[in-house]
Amino acid sequence: MNKKFTRRTFLKWSGAAAATIAAVPALPKMISWAEGASLEGSADFVRSYCEMCTSRCPIQAKVVDGKTVLINGNPDWAATGGTVCARGGSGFSQLYDPQRIQKPMIRAGERGEGKWREVSWDEAYAFIAEKMGAIKTKYGPEAMAFANRGGTHMAYMVTLARAFGTPNTFTHEATCPQARTVALNATFGTPALGIDYGNVKYLLSLGRNHFEGIHVAQARGVMNALSKGGKLVSVDPRYSITSMKAHEWYPIKPGTDLALMLAINHVLIRDRLYDEDFVARYTDGFEVLKGSITEYTPAWAEKQTGIKSTDIERIAKELAGAKPRAVVDWGWRTQTTPEEFELRRAIVITNMLLGNLEVPGGTFFVKSPAFINGLVGKEVVQDMKGWKTPPFPAPGKPRLDGAGVKGQPNFMVPPADGVVQTIPEAILTEQPYPVKGWFVLRYNPVATIPHTQRVMDAIKKLDLLVVCDIYMTDTAWMADVVLPESTYLERDEGFNASHGAVPGFTLRQQVVKPVYDTKPHWEIFKSLAEKMGLGSYFPYHSIDEIRLAQMGGRADLVKETKDKGFLSFGFKPVFLRDKNSVAAFAAKVPEAASLVNEQGIIDKPLLNLKTASKKIELLSSQAQALFGRGVPVYRPVKLAEENQLFFVQGKTALHTNGHTHNVPWLFDLFPAARLWIHPETAAKIGLKDGDKVEYESSTGKYQAKVLITAGVRPDTTFAYFGFGRTSPGLKRAYQQGANSNMVLPMAVAPVCGTTLQTTGITIRKV
Amino acid sequence: MTEKRYGMVYDSNKCIGCQSCNVACRAENKVPDGVSRLQVWIEGPRGKFPNLTMDFHRQSCVMCEKAPCVPVCPTGASYINKDGVAMVDIKKCVGCKYCIVACPYQARFVNPQTGAADKCTFCYESRVVQGMKPACVSACPTNALTFGDLNDSKSEVRVVLGKQYTVKPKEHLGTKPKLRTIPNWRGGEV
Repeated sequence: MNKKFTRRTFLKWSGAAAATIAAVPALPKMISWAEGASLEGSADFVRSYCEMCTSRCPIQAKVVDGKTVLINGNPDWAATGGTVCARGGSGFSQLYDPQRIQKPMIRAGERGEGKWREVSWDEAYAFIAEKMGAIKTKYGPEAMAFANRGGTHMAYMVTLARAFGTPNTFTHEATCPQARTVALNATFGTPALGIDYGNVKYLLSLGRNHFEGIHVAQARGVMNALSKGGKLVSVDPRYSITSMKAHEWYPIKPGTDLALMLAINHVLIRDRLYDEDFVARYTDGFEVLKGSITEYTPAWAEKQTGIKSTDIERIAKELAGAKPRAVVDWGWRTQTTPEEFELRRAIVITNMLLGNLEVPGGTFFVKSPAFINGLVGKEVVQDMKGWKTPPFPAPGKPRLDGAGVKGQPNFMVPPADGVVQTIPEAILTEQPYPVKGWFVLRYNPVATIPHTQRVMDAIKKLDLLVVCDIYMTDTAWMADVVLPESTYLERDEGFNASHGAVPGFTLRQQVVKPVYDTKPHWEIFKSLAEKMGLGSYFPYHSIDEIRLAQMGGRADLVKETKDKGFLSFGFKPVFLRDKNSVAAFAAKVPEAASLVNEQGIIDKPLLNLKTASKKIELLSSQAQALFGRGVPVYRPVKLAEENQLFFVQGKTALHTNGHTHNVPWLFDLFPAARLWIHPETAAKIGLKDGDKVEYESSTGKYQAKVLITAGVRPDTTFAYFGFGRTSPGLKRAYQQGANSNMVLPMAVAPVCGTTLQTTGITIRKV
Repeated sequence: MTEKRYGMVYDSNKCIGCQSCNVACRAENKVPDGVSRLQVWIEGPRGKFPNLTMDFHRQSCVMCEKAPCVPVCPTGASYINKDGVAMVDIKKCVGCKYCIVACPYQARFVNPQTGAADKCTFCYESRVVQGMKPACVSACPTNALTFGDLNDSKSEVRVVLGKQYTVKPKEHLGTKPKLRTIPNWRGGEV
């Protein structure tokens, strides 16, 4: 290494991928190790799980010297091996941040003006109850929408919404993996499938960035597979860390991934490289699929994608050569084009052509207690129980987004998740009916729903916006009432389902008493419900009562989980088409022995799916009947005009979406995302590295500094997501770095309801 | 008890630059904001689109056997302990920065809270003497770090050294680092 380090370069993380060349002062500027502060909590490690993202990795944490909290991975959790990522390790920095919301607050000035009145919890509840009551009286209960980022808190929010009488509850999924969910559902009748990354021999990833969009267990799995000689092929318009670690990188033209997958399916079928026995026995609709892919030749796909037909042929053949331990990742953040349903379906179909279901190194049904108990027809594994509530009132009107509603375009979207970007539309248009109140729980739609200005305009029309969060988020800044939740280190919770190839539960436990005047969600919702006369829906009195009820009264299981941080049932990974795995499973669950067939496998569940044909539907009968989209078909999409550059975005290992930008340690490591631009393109526009530019789409514009790098296609720009925050209450993160959703359009993808995270932009120097 | 000779292997192919080690080190050792005992550093991408690569580097003390920071210390604060770990005795340190200048690896800094020279210690006092691995090793999501006793032929670190080609950072200086790097198999400079 001949590069000369200076003191200052040492202090920075130069991060090619991150481009975080910030001026880091040499002296401490933050309060991470506050002098004289004191924390009350456990001096011994408490087992819990993380909430710096939503992967929920098991951790252990303790208070050190009454001043700091040390967080490690839970060493007994095999999937993470006791490791923890940078975000997880930074939880203490978030806990102690004085920029957290410290007390309940009610808006005192104009909306978004930042003037607040600190109030008691009781006053905040009374205010919300009165406003919600007024909305119900004037417009009906469906005029209240509730939205959250999924998690164990969701059940409490949904219970309050149902008790109040509105069907309108949402998660953030439509801005993330929903196309995958709907595609899996259409194919298997369930979205609960996983990938056995650690044993994969060949992994093709289309934009799934395992080494930056970090899910620790999966990142470890992929790295283990690589260490064992597995091959990774990355398809991504920009050079991610995953692309760098891959054996091959193909910078595909944005929006054309579907063409690549259709051509791979074409080769697999044309050359009879697919698993013929698997397809014949377990799938339905192969002949229709076969007829649908004849035109999708590699030569055709080359014209769409820019990937050479010879490479496409070779990748298809290599996948087939490695089958069944060959997987095409079905992705996580799935909003590259409006044709996402087709893309995710095409990927799922490739996997099934490879016959990789229920084998090690392939794909598998999640082995939840419900799956195993359903398989053997008896509760052999403790499942989680709810608490008893009175019956909910029947909603007077259907969901505003039509999710799960017959005859509606979003029928195939799970109503538990919904199409969250339709909330601002409903507020603004009053269609299908007026929406006047929005309860937002640990979720930040102003930062995470595209067309930010439209989301803000909608919020300005509301009679009531309640935000329950830990920071003064971009959404909280525009709220009428802000309820501060305790951070994950400060609160106890009920059980969390953490099933994979084995069943398991995890448990969040308090490590340190709340630093500020904050409360856990289960207490907030109970108190609010009581204020609204709905207390009978929240009959519990303590977290112990909740946990015991969830485990069906099994105090021994609760204790075991508290001690270990998780509840496992002693299973080895269960792959039902693998003889060795099935033998171990049958030894563990004797009731399963009678299900084992002459080949030594259990394939009953594969032939009894919740699809119309009961089989794996290569031709989705539902999507065919409702939308004429039974098998994937290529419909070209125009994401950018001729004079525009593509704008794509992705994840960094140092932040979680709209959530962690203001966390001191993480902000220090990565304060501001730049706009990536290829050197040739930069030269044409006359840009130097670090220049400030304005980038503009048909939706909106924003300003950021550019990073000139060969790590992106010449016709494409890239920015990490989650920057350029609009809340002045996030004092560090406010307006730092490139904002994505300011320029992304409002969109609802057919069938799956996802938003769109690609658009066309023009750039000018400012 | 026989003396140890602690060493570490950094596999730059397994490192994903996620800074998990950096944060774990900060938390474990209460490293003040603005300075670091350990960072990983991503260099690149270099090459011509689309034939690119990046290099990953660990930036920390490399635990030299012939450590330039020791002889220059006027007070004896900078020393190598019985188990081969380069340490700083902050009670003896006068903050003269001779060691910082002498270190060819830019691994040392003045801790703004103590005023003393500071650096990676392999978490010797807080973890290693209690039988634990350094915080960075325990935290690394992709197992890019291997730690152990170089005197013990059965230790994990020796097993890795026996199997893998490794390099000593700036070997030509003759400092004999006990932190070795598995270089980028894509042809990265080291």
